[in-house]
Amino acid sequence: MNPKLTRRRFIKGVIASSAAAASTSLWYSAIGADRPAGAVERLLSLNVNGQTRRVDVAPQETLAHTLRYKLGLTGTKLGCNRGECGACTVLADDVNIYACSTLTHEVSNKAVMTVEGLRAADGTLHPVQAAFVQELSPACGFCTSGQVMSAVALLKSNPRPTREEARQAMSGNLCRCGAYDHYLNGVMRASGQLS
Amino acid sequence: MTYMHIGKDFTPPDVEAKVTGAARYAEDFKKDGMVFARLLTSPIPAGRVVSIDASAALAMPGVLGIFTADDLPEAKPPANPALAKEWVTYIGQPILAVAAESDFLAEEALSKIVVEYQRRPFVVDPLDTLVEGGPDPYPMGNTLIRNSGEAAAGTTASGTDVGRIKWSIDQVTAFRNGREPVGAQFGSEWEFGDLAAQFAACTTIIEEPFVTIGQPHHSLESRTGMAYWENGKCYFHGSLQSHTVGHAALAGMLEMDPANLVFINENTGGGFGSKIFPYPIMAVTGRFSRALNRPVQLRITRDEEFYIGSARSGMQGWIKIGLKDDGRVGAVDVAIINDAGSGGGGSGSSSAEHITIMFQPEAMRFRGLSLYTNTTPRGAQRGPGQNEMAAVLAPMMDKAANQAGLDRVAFRRTNAPRMDGKIGERQGGLSSSYMPEAIDKAAQMFNWEQKIAQPKQISATKVRGIGVGQGFHTAGANGYDGLIRIAPDGTIYLHTGVGNLGTYSYAGVVRASAEALQCNWDNCVVVHGNSELNLPHSTYQGGSNTIFTETRSSHVAAMDIIAKMKEIAVAEFGGAVEDYSIGGERVFLTSDNAKGMSFGEAAQKAIEMGGKYSGMEFPEDINATTKRSVQAMAGTGLIGVAKDLLPRSGAVPGMAIAFIEIELDTETGKFDILDYSAVAECGTVVHPQGLSQAMNGGGVWGFGMAQSERHVYDPQNGLPANVGLYQSKPPTYLDVPVNMNTAGMDMPDPQSPVGAKGIGEPAQGCAVAALMSAFSDALDGHLFNRTPVTADMIVNHIAQNGHNTGNLKTNTF
Amino acid sequence: MSSHDVMPEMSLYQPVRVEDAIGIANQFADRGWLVGGGQDTYGWLKDRAKSADALIDLKGIESMRGVKETADGIEIGALVTLTEITKDPIIAQRYPLLAQAAGRVASPQIRNVGTIAGNVSQDVRCWYYRRGLNCYRAGGNLCYADTPEGMNREHAIFNASRCVAVTPSDTGPALVALEAQMVINNASGQRVVSAEEFFVGPNLDIQNTTVLRPGDILTAVRIPSKWANAQFYFEKVADRNAWDFALVSLSAVMRVNNGVIEDSRIVAGAVQATPRRLTEVEQAVRGKARNDSTADSIGDLASRTANPLNYNHFKMPLMDNLVKRALRGQA
Repeated sequence: MNPKLTRRRFIKGVIASSAAAASTSLWYSAIGADRPAGAVERLLSLNVNGQTRRVDVAPQETLAHTLRYKLGLTGTKLGCNRGECGACTVLADDVNIYACSTLTHEVSNKAVMTVEGLRAADGTLHPVQAAFVQELSPACGFCTSGQVMSAVALLKSNPRPTREEARQAMSGNLCRCGAYDHYLNGVMRASGQLS
Repeated sequence: MTYMHIGKDFTPPDVEAKVTGAARYAEDFKKDGMVFARLLTSPIPAGRVVSIDASAALAMPGVLGIFTADDLPEAKPPANPALAKEWVTYIGQPILAVAAESDFLAEEALSKIVVEYQRRPFVVDPLDTLVEGGPDPYPMGNTLIRNSGEAAAGTTASGTDVGRIKWSIDQVTAFRNGREPVGAQFGSEWEFGDLAAQFAACTTIIEEPFVTIGQPHHSLESRTGMAYWENGKCYFHGSLQSHTVGHAALAGMLEMDPANLVFINENTGGGFGSKIFPYPIMAVTGRFSRALNRPVQLRITRDEEFYIGSARSGMQGWIKIGLKDDGRVGAVDVAIINDAGSGGGGSGSSSAEHITIMFQPEAMRFRGLSLYTNTTPRGAQRGPGQNEMAAVLAPMMDKAANQAGLDRVAFRRTNAPRMDGKIGERQGGLSSSYMPEAIDKAAQMFNWEQKIAQPKQISATKVRGIGVGQGFHTAGANGYDGLIRIAPDGTIYLHTGVGNLGTYSYAGVVRASAEALQCNWDNCVVVHGNSELNLPHSTYQGGSNTIFTETRSSHVAAMDIIAKMKEIAVAEFGGAVEDYSIGGERVFLTSDNAKGMSFGEAAQKAIEMGGKYSGMEFPEDINATTKRSVQAMAGTGLIGVAKDLLPRSGAVPGMAIAFIEIELDTETGKFDILDYSAVAECGTVVHPQGLSQAMNGGGVWGFGMAQSERHVYDPQNGLPANVGLYQSKPPTYLDVPVNMNTAGMDMPDPQSPVGAKGIGEPAQGCAVAALMSAFSDALDGHLFNRTPVTADMIVNHIAQNGHNTGNLKTNTF
Repeated sequence: MSSHDVMPEMSLYQPVRVEDAIGIANQFADRGWLVGGGQDTYGWLKDRAKSADALIDLKGIESMRGVKETADGIEIGALVTLTEITKDPIIAQRYPLLAQAAGRVASPQIRNVGTIAGNVSQDVRCWYYRRGLNCYRAGGNLCYADTPEGMNREHAIFNASRCVAVTPSDTGPALVALEAQMVINNASGQRVVSAEEFFVGPNLDIQNTTVLRPGDILTAVRIPSKWANAQFYFEKVADRNAWDFALVSLSAVMRVNNGVIEDSRIVAGAVQATPRRLTEVEQAVRGKARNDSTADSIGDLASRTANPLNYNHFKMPLMDNLVKRALRGQA
């Protein structure tokens, strides 16, 4: 076959009104709503950042996708979407996990905390966030949300870690810019061990 | 010199948003009606697209269309096409994009598209295409004739023509086995000094082969883009290291008037050289959106980021180095084959340039050849050429020094560039060099004398390795524009077209304006990241050049606005401009402080006076982008705008020196870094925390390059083994030292108004070089002649089993 | 070679009782996929290198949680996470080998959700296989790695049988060393197999790394008291010190009396498709002192019968070196 013959007219008729087709919740819209008996229901109440959010979630949908595309919480980043970089790190019941490698339905009965949920009600930064600002911990910033969440998880279970403990606890968060030293300084500052 | 802002830490305006998750990257933007596009990529390393049958995909409800090379202007090989038209040259090369109402549907559609390919022979090792009868990566050849204009821009941008160079089997065999390929043809050559005479005068001569392996950039943000068209304008959310310098180029890719392109890119999740200029896939995002009349998000997966996200070129080479009795490097002869991948370029000449400046040889010859392979496109990666040369050169120079009975550090100091140092094939001058002083400072920080006197053997299974390494990159350009607006309320808007690549240089450079204006930083607003915000034409951001280049343009804009304020004051109070001063955000009569006005009042006055004061008029020599920005702001305040015409001569060298102490486990090949101390010769330090960030981050890159990061391709089928992050092995928290000690020389470069030079790339070069040097030192001077040095190579070396010590190969074990 | 990022449509079940899980697993047979932590699940499905009709999330089954003391040792629920293993006081006290091995798996986030059952059941990491190539293990009829040009640095040096992939598990060798028993439930009841028999090589079954079959659920891992408080050695050598798989790992348990090794079990990881017991070494050191000279006397006994491929010879000295360190008792 000649590619010249087959490649033409690959764009379907332009939709008359893009507003008519506009939707921000089309993520899995093509998936049938039918489910086999006993399988999970799509609608669930998710506890995110202290709020209960009703959300329609496909069975195989990851938490990162639900957060980013359905709940508008884009602070959780997708660096690899394979649980290898840590940019999507969030807390589930205070434990840091990769949101890209967790099904939303797996955390339906847990309290999910994302980077957007850390500020105090009056807008004050969480001590980890404040320390990261002070130590200029982020470089490009793409991994930062995940670094913040791993640091928060660490300090919840170990409020005064040694630098070595901090480094171990943070080791599931890649920083391609190599800002590790500055992040560790931030963790030590947040735990009150650096002034 | 005592500065108000320069050399002081500050909180860059974007940091808080990064720690709260509010900072938005291209993929974080949504738009009503946005559709999701995905790429179909080549499963074969070389061949031809025979046909595409997308009928089943297009029949799916919710699938909106596909976009192919036919929808794009033709890209002439080796220019990298956004989508392959006919010839496929690597696995993972994008063939087409499909758009659908959901990401899920787009991916389903991909699996329903049938592409018929015709295979061609392929090659993953440059020497396999170089040998007579070897396959050519492109149908029309295996090498390019470089476009010197683009090359001069500091990138390894594609050239214009594909040609063919072949060596005899004997020549390739000799080269593979570490010997000079006598009589072989190269793509580029240069020479200075009397090579033969200088070698004849040398008393120590070493001859070594070397190989370095390319590695993907793997910026953590994949290059997803989102574009939409509204009221004749294109809004493009993208991810570039540079900002305004990419704007016109992107408009060109979309074949549109730059005035109608709104480029939004406040944050960039890593680039490392791979996002200096707009990259091909951006054309698809923008044009697909135009064709569909819908906002399009073209998501790039991690695998795809490996394929199209650029990579460092590998090199295979041979070098001969001669030392004279006095410890000076007399002559160097080097030959380098670069792996350009598909439609990229090698940086052999830059590798050779590293030697010329770091060791100041009397005579030198470089011969280089950049060859394509059917692997991912190669481009600039953090010190392309220089840093891989730094890596392999360090242990070789150690060997030469040891052979000549010289202390390795004293030897480097003897040969280090001084203020009158020379660089490159033309042996041009330098804007400044305090490298000997930097070596002294770092040696002192590290305690070299004491460290080197320690016993080698730490325990039965642990040996100590002490290494030293240097990094270099040209770090400056000139001729860009600065732009400042002061509003009637006194707010000082510092506009910059510098991208936000994570170094905070976008904010650091405009502090040169604040410095000249002697104003309170809290009253300044940094305007950047969105072309609708009226940005000036600023430098491309690669090659460590932002700090030098843009402190200059920031300074000239400040000078312009100060001159205008004085003229306004003259108009109000009389006298001559020389009679006026600025201070406390006022312009006033030097002899009578009461006669003056605030910056805000001057701005109000400027609006009344119009003309050049309020941006109604502007200099002819500024760039079209800057002109548009001034026009858009005209009448809204006092405008300072100028092109940087400050004097410039010689190369601007950013340099760094690192020392490292490792404890190497001879039973496992693993090691710990006990001490890492590095000093940047970067002129005046503008932002100490930023410098620390650059030096530490560069160090981490250096450790990765030395110990783990590499391409691995299967020569049987052209498949890359390490597309994912865990397989590409960038260093984690646990692969770098717990603490890193870095400092800056803080000696001003005379050609920057604030004395600053860049340092991003040398920060990696010095680290990889020091670590390679330490490996060699730990193993009694053994040379691996390659990067990376992985644990298995060390174990094999110690076991003396003869593995991993063979001939020159890049892209494979 | 197009890249995917979204899992295809499938259903999800979240049973709370083992019996229900078995029922669902039987219903879907080889189209059902058991999920513990899911860390070796979603990548396969996103990549579309494997597929399933239903995911069966076991995490709601309380009976598969927790570490319990038994008459003869301890029982670790299949759903106990690797992090829980590293923090469990009984394991830390009696079987620190297992805690160390679990602590070296991937990264904190993966250990926080990754389970002991998942760690021992995970599939091999041969990069050809993971790319979705139709190799022997994937049901095809060739091996890409076992060729003169194959990129086989990480592959097997022992017991290759068409497939040359190695076990990627860090805890597997430790469990074999500890003589763990694997408790498997299915519709016909419960069976208990030793860890050594749990792992299977390509000579027995080229498409599975364990004896688990559709309908089987690994519900618990029992560790007998036999090796409690023995002397242990664990080491994992990988390119990176986090998020990486072993080039070679070594798990050793030794009963040492008055400095003399009375009995031992020494198991290497990442040298073949299953954890490799080094029985020759175990025999050779029986009755000898745990010291440098015993270590040196071993020489290349561990690797002597290895059959290296083109790029993995280093595993032989590396493995020998780790054995020596285990016998010396220090790195």
